Amino acid sequence: MQSNQTFADVFKAGGVSRRDFLKFCTLTSVYLGLSPSMVPSIVHAMEKKPRTPVIWLHGQECTCCSESFIRSSHPTIEDIIFNLISLDYDDVLSAAAGNQLEDVRRKTMKDYKGKYILAVEGNASTKDDGVYCMVGGDSFLNTLKETAADAAAIIAWGACASYGCVQNAHPNPSGAAPVSDIIKDKPIIKVPGCPPISEVMTGVVTHFHTFGTLPELDRMGRPKAFYNTRIHDKCYRRAFFDAGQFVRSFDDEATRKGWCLYKMGCKGPTTYNSCSKIQWNGGTSFPIGSGHPCIGCSEPNFWDRGPFYSRLAEVPFLGSDSNADKIGVVAVGAAAAGAAAHAAVTAVKKAKAGNEDNDKA
Amino acid sequence: MGRIIEEIYVWRLPVRLYHWINALTTAALFITGMYIAAPLFNPPLGEAVLYKGFSWWRYLHFAAGFIFIANFLFRLYWALFGEDKYARFGGFRPWSPTWWGTPFREQVESYLFLRSDEPNYVGHNPVAALAHFVFIFCGSSFMIFSGLAMYGENNPGGFNSVWFGWMIPLFGGSYTLHFAHHLFAWIFPIYLIMHLYAVFRHDVVDRTSVTSSIITGYKHKVEEEPS
Repeated sequence: MQSNQTFADVFKAGGVSRRDFLKFCTLTSVYLGLSPSMVPSIVHAMEKKPRTPVIWLHGQECTCCSESFIRSSHPTIEDIIFNLISLDYDDVLSAAAGNQLEDVRRKTMKDYKGKYILAVEGNASTKDDGVYCMVGGDSFLNTLKETAADAAAIIAWGACASYGCVQNAHPNPSGAAPVSDIIKDKPIIKVPGCPPISEVMTGVVTHFHTFGTLPELDRMGRPKAFYNTRIHDKCYRRAFFDAGQFVRSFDDEATRKGWCLYKMGCKGPTTYNSCSKIQWNGGTSFPIGSGHPCIGCSEPNFWDRGPFYSRLAEVPFLGSDSNADKIGVVAVGAAAAGAAAHAAVTAVKKAKAGNEDNDKA
Repeated sequence: MGRIIEEIYVWRLPVRLYHWINALTTAALFITGMYIAAPLFNPPLGEAVLYKGFSWWRYLHFAAGFIFIANFLFRLYWALFGEDKYARFGGFRPWSPTWWGTPFREQVESYLFLRSDEPNYVGHNPVAALAHFVFIFCGSSFMIFSGLAMYGENNPGGFNSVWFGWMIPLFGGSYTLHFAHHLFAWIFPIYLIMHLYAVFRHDVVDRTSVTSSIITGYKHKVEEEPS
């Protein structure tokens, strides 16, 4: 195992010139939101520090995070960064399989005890001892706990590992639980999204490798560099939002003009991610850029906050799907009906009392 | 009409001002809030840069919100330090079993037509005090905290985001907090109906001029006479 090689060594062996290497470091510092003075630190870390070993586990997931990761954007680097991380275990990408691969995982855990990063893609089934997700002959729940025990830190890739995603959407038949519900004693970086943006993923790994610490996290455990602002805050259609120019149907004139998708259910105003800044596939586009409202895939439980094409969530209420406004109107109606009924009873009582008084008189 | 036998100054000017500012800002907040959730008006045509239509609605909502908050804080101050016996928190002790005792029970029984006489209070009766605590104190507090948390989203790391942003993870994300804010906005029209009904009913049944008292400040006791 080439465990002591630095990033720079591997770049060199791969035929990457020093100029390209420095370009990569500079770009990474930009993505991480670091000042230009930090570039030498990144270069230093890449040249001098041995590569950080990474164990990448796959639980209940669709591999879209891996798919995103391998498309990291810098053209000459996209596959190289993938090869450069000392990715010691990844059951999806490894050539080896079966016992051979599981041995590698155990060896890495032993050799780099307390030093390796555990990257988790997907989440674990917790119902019935986790039998609904079996990997390598054991439940993923056990594998996750076992591998997490000696990890320096855990990166929860994607909505699955961060919040649960579609697996723990209602009614959650397999008892799927995000990593933070299972592992409580390790620092966890949540990198939500379905999938997360590739540059966000490589950025988080690079930050950890460069500084040896977790990036600054927000209240929800996400790296602030990428999840500090909403899609809405940097959206290029924001001017149409402020002007009140909204798309009202997917085939209207406003759609062709590229107006704001707020009324089409866009979750941009409530979704923290970098899509409107970094964009996808090397800056090609992002959902709103392609005319589709944001579905809020990097927000907790976004599957249960639907429908995607309406601003107001539907909630199960009195046996049928409803939303806040319907509940509100029903409640106001009930209050009005109650007041009217009370008034009627009051009137009847008063009339009766009046009659009695008259009878007495 | 019976002869006025007593005139009592109940609602002092700060209380009346609070009441009407609260009524106006709540109405403005509800209307602008509903519009923000579902903008109905036809969009303007032409360059976006020429229009500020939707941000104007949001601006009104935020401005009304801050007036609402200042007014709410003033009312808290008045309740705690105003030395106004009809407007203080003093009598309201829901944690104490005695508060839920005879006066409260009698008032509930009266509202449920279980007793023929109407207990008469110059200030708020215990049921009204409870309703105000639930709808106006708790309801407004929730709307203020959630509102400031969402307002803080415009400026991450700023004052509102630091002091109120914890509401967002508490509710499981910004969208859910927006939803809760939207849902709980409906307590205000519900309260309005109950409030107006109770006021008009007491005016008719007890004939204490409670309706005009929120403008003039005076409640009256009138001579009993057969209706």
